[in-house]
Amino acid sequence: MEDKFDCIVIGGGVAGLAAAMTLARNNMKFLLIEKGEFPGSKNVSGGVLWGSDLNKLVPNYWEEEDGGWDRFINHRRLTFMDEQSSFSLDFKSSHFNEKPYTGVVVLRSKFDNWLAGKVQEAIDASDFAMDSFIATDIKVDEVILENDKAVGIKTGEDEFYADSVIIAEGVNNLLTRQVGLQDKYVPADHMLTGIKEIIRFDQKVLEDRFQLNGLSGMSNEFVGWATNGIEGGGFLYTNRDTISLGLVLGLKDLREKKQKPYDVLNHFKQHPTIADAIKGGEVVEYSAHVVSSGDSRVMPKELYKDGILLVGEAANLLMNAGKAIQGMDYAMRSGILAAETIVEAKAKNDYTSAILKEYRKKMDDSYVMKDIKGFQDAVHLLHTDVMQNKVPNLVCDFGRQFFSIKNEPTPKSEKMLLGAVKRHSSLWELAKLGFKARKSL
Amino acid sequence: MPDVYAPLQIKEGELIMDADRMVLNAYDASAVEEALVLKEKHGGEVEVVCIGPAKASETIRKALAMGADKATHIIASGDEEYDSASYAKILSAFFKDKEYDVIGLGKQSQDTDSGLTGSMVAEHLSLPYTTNAVGLEVENGNLVVKRQGDSGQEMIELPTPCAVTCSNDMNDPRIPNLKGIMASKRKPIDQVEISSLGIDETELQADTKVTSYEEKPARQAGKKYEGEAEEVAREVAQLLDTEANVL
Amino acid sequence: MSTILTYIAISDGKLKRSSLEVLSHCKSLADAAGASCEAVVIDANASSFIEGIQKYGASKVHVVEDPIFKNHMNTPLLKALSKVMSSINPSVFAFASTEGTKDVLGALAANQNAAVIADVASFKLIDGGVTAKRPVMAAKIMNNTEAKSDKVLVSVRSGSYDLNESPESAEVVNIDFSMDDSEMKSTLREIISASGDTIDLNEAEAIVAAGRGVKDEDGKALISELASVLKAGIGASRALTESGVYDPSLQIGQTGKVVSPQLYIAVGISGAIQHVAGMANSKVIVAINKDPDAPIFEVADYGIVGDLYKVLPPFIEEIKKIKS
Ligand SMILES: Cc1cc2nc3c(=O)[nH]c(=O)nc-3n(C[C@H](O)[C@H](O)[C@H](O)COP(=O)(O)OP(=O)(O)OC[C@H]3O[C@@H](n4cnc5c(N)ncnc54)[C@H](O)[C@@H]3O)c2cc1C
Ligand SMILES: Cc1cc2nc3c(=O)[nH]c(=O)nc-3n(C[C@H](O)[C@H](O)[C@H](O)COP(=O)(O)OP(=O)(O)OC[C@H]3O[C@@H](n4cnc5c(N)ncnc54)[C@H](O)[C@@H]3O)c2cc1C
Ligand SMILES: Nc1ncnc2c1ncn2[C@@H]1O[C@H](COP(=O)(O)O)[C@@H](O)[C@H]1O
Repeated sequence: MEDKFDCIVIGGGVAGLAAAMTLARNNMKFLLIEKGEFPGSKNVSGGVLWGSDLNKLVPNYWEEEDGGWDRFINHRRLTFMDEQSSFSLDFKSSHFNEKPYTGVVVLRSKFDNWLAGKVQEAIDASDFAMDSFIATDIKVDEVILENDKAVGIKTGEDEFYADSVIIAEGVNNLLTRQVGLQDKYVPADHMLTGIKEIIRFDQKVLEDRFQLNGLSGMSNEFVGWATNGIEGGGFLYTNRDTISLGLVLGLKDLREKKQKPYDVLNHFKQHPTIADAIKGGEVVEYSAHVVSSGDSRVMPKELYKDGILLVGEAANLLMNAGKAIQGMDYAMRSGILAAETIVEAKAKNDYTSAILKEYRKKMDDSYVMKDIKGFQDAVHLLHTDVMQNKVPNLVCDFGRQFFSIKNEPTPKSEKMLLGAVKRHSSLWELAKLGFKARKSL
Repeated sequence: MPDVYAPLQIKEGELIMDADRMVLNAYDASAVEEALVLKEKHGGEVEVVCIGPAKASETIRKALAMGADKATHIIASGDEEYDSASYAKILSAFFKDKEYDVIGLGKQSQDTDSGLTGSMVAEHLSLPYTTNAVGLEVENGNLVVKRQGDSGQEMIELPTPCAVTCSNDMNDPRIPNLKGIMASKRKPIDQVEISSLGIDETELQADTKVTSYEEKPARQAGKKYEGEAEEVAREVAQLLDTEANVL
Repeated sequence: MSTILTYIAISDGKLKRSSLEVLSHCKSLADAAGASCEAVVIDANASSFIEGIQKYGASKVHVVEDPIFKNHMNTPLLKALSKVMSSINPSVFAFASTEGTKDVLGALAANQNAAVIADVASFKLIDGGVTAKRPVMAAKIMNNTEAKSDKVLVSVRSGSYDLNESPESAEVVNIDFSMDDSEMKSTLREIISASGDTIDLNEAEAIVAAGRGVKDEDGKALISELASVLKAGIGASRALTESGVYDPSLQIGQTGKVVSPQLYIAVGISGAIQHVAGMANSKVIVAINKDPDAPIFEVADYGIVGDLYKVLPPFIEEIKKIKS
């Protein structure tokens, strides 16, 4: 069949675009289909893209003044909150100024569209300049299976055929379920909702307030009071002239405690630390999006089957162990590895599981699966009451005493710490926590 | 044109769009749709023309993906300060030696809502025209256009060649399907330099110029009345009388 | 002395208030600049409107009277306007922005080699031309546009200026006009008028506008009743004009009409940006919508959250009580 593609990529998010770029560079004939009006139009999320894979896809991407990214991270902060206080671990290092950067902040509507432009350039330079496509505003309705092997896709009345399909549809993984790689009903209990506001400042004000220099940026995660008792955490990232401020909240907990994400976000914004940080800013965008918890219990059964590879959040590849949310970097790496596997499959002209299982192997060998497996306990730990409430309260209580100087005798720090521990938890509980943490982190 | 729905901001009087994207004007999409319907019914060829910078080619592609047969991209750098009159002059120069039955335009640009270009082109080319079309038929080789006027609709018969500016109330423009998108890649886009159209550059200098942008005086959201329908309805009616003084 | 000329639009045999608003503004501009404020009326019965025009301060009223202007057609109107411009040579020629003027403004500018700014919210004179404020980007923001030319055409959105009487016994100048059938470039086959004697939305003091929330005849009946107790015009969102529930000429918004009544009641309208573009300048806005998060509430002075079928009957009843 003349029109047949080597591969059809479903979804033009980070995962799909990384796959497409790799396919284009390897002279493959492919079709990428994105249901949004343009790549990124549906991707309201965004935040920090960790790691340096972006440099593999777009070498020396930082040379482009007005590229798709906003700032690089050289300042990180983890903040524990109680009602009045915040106690932070703060790390800033010019070591992070080296290129390739180890983290860049991106706004997805801009970043994805930019990356798609780069993929188009790669297509234009490939043998299939006229035969490979990025098509937007088209929704894939179904993956066509023949004898349980993927042979193409269906959109509306039209069918398109390919030797392989990469499913990069993101967290609402309807097609993943359709092809049977995910159970039809995944409990929402292991899902989170991410909500975010983009708050705009005068760029100078923003740079002064967050001590940014040139295009350097800061990422700040929050635990404790931020989420008003709901399992989850908060984040603040600096973009060019805006900040992304938001929360990731457990769906089950929200439901049980009858809270609305937007109200929790407002609660977060009331905190004196946040209120000071956002003063004078103007909210220009509000968005909400489901995000997987990174809990292996919602992982798909497998990442491949005959003619199909699963990448990015469609496969629930995500890590949220408190110090950062990693979803985009996992999406990118899985997209690259999947496409490389397709290239090998083409060389062998065999797209069955026998070859595609190589993708699984590559993933297992990569940091993605190693981290997801290795840090499961940390993920669970982060979501315990101790970590969510007791520790932040304890730390802030200690901080308040430690940093207060009163005109009276100052107790020794150790005594302060013990007092704080007793008020919010117990030594025994912390010992258990410490033990678990040592194992899991 | 820029996407009017993309986030924007004004900095020191300048308009800054967050997204550097071009989209097809909704009113032009209706013009393209109408042309495609005409072609389906009566045969012929649909050609689109766009004056714009390099990245406008995506927009042209969209019209081709809808089903237009070919395109001309008149290259502008994007830095020129053209107004409707300048665009109308360029378009007229382009159409001057062409053969066509109908020039379809949008009734206005979504970003500026000027609504001038169409009748300017018609005047330059001495064409019969009508604006704000909401319907269109061909009868005996003439075009019968339904035009939305101030208080009703006017059915106007125009001989060809003629020009029509289209309202988005005319039709629902088709969304290109995947086959259309794929086919569009092989359709020709003729690239033309403005200088090759034989117009004196000085003539294109705009008489009008946007000097600055500013926020609209904000309209404060008033009060929301929730509760028992009967009660709030009566309360607000009272307030319209006593507080707002508009009864 | 330079001349500021205002085009007085006639529709359905009546002077369009919006063009008198423009005339009022031009009068004050002319007075301040020491220019002559003049008006032109083009209609089958043009001379019958002279008196009405004089009230607003034109020192000269130019009259083009010919049966051909009974209905709007762009060819004769354009010819008449061109002739008027050539003979009066105004430095500024101002119009109310109606569908009639939108039909010819660009062509007139091209014909007369004049600068033109369409659909402005306000304008004033500057050295060598005119500067105007216009809503742009789906009326999200405004821009300032300058036109530098010895001939500037400008059209003004209705409701931008207050009517301001300053009677003047104007000199009346008749301008000859004749047109050959052969000059007609197009023919008017038929006029499909909006049903009934509806109130012109541009002129209405109050408007009741219906949106998709108005689902059936019962809903329409409530809208009509509310409009009649308020003596209001009926408008509609595109959702209802498109589906044929209301006449297309009642559409309010970016594609439809721009209105600015004293009272605007949006019933079952979500408040899409393109709709709001046409009504945000109303003095008092009331919104009735069952969705508390509907964007229309962001522009409404009084927002009633509720089902219109439950809200309207007591609302109408209460207004009747107040009115009586
Ligand atoms: C509030 C929030 C904050 C976050 N912060 C971070 C962060 O700081 N760092 C980080 O690394 N990660 C973060 N994440 C997670 C990250 O956004 C995701 O992990 C990442 O986007 C996954 O990429 P993806 O390409 O797999 O899926 P997506 O980005 O969701 O892309 C999927 C694409 O597929 C398209 N699509 C879906 N179905 C179809 C179909 N049937 N046909 C055609 N197209 C289809 C969609 O329109 C979409 O464009 C955050 C998430 C949220 C919600
Ligand atoms: C280029 C362009 C130009 C446009 N120009 C215009 C224009 O000029 N004018 C215009 O109006 N639109 C215009 N539109 C369309 C516009 O985008 C919206 O689609 C349209 O305004 C929606 O109309 P609506 O509010 O009636 O319907 P919807 O958006 O469907 O809203 C209906 C509302 O009614 C409420 N509702 C439903 N039932 C009830 C009930 N029983 N009681 C109370 N409330 C109820 C709902 O909560 C909802 O908010 C344009 C669009 C484009 C792209
Ligand atoms: N750069 C351009 N290229 C092609 N057509 C244009 C261009 N600018 C304006 N037009 C046409 O003129 C119409 C709008 O006119 P205006 O509102 O005066 O900008 C559009 O709908 C197009 O049909």
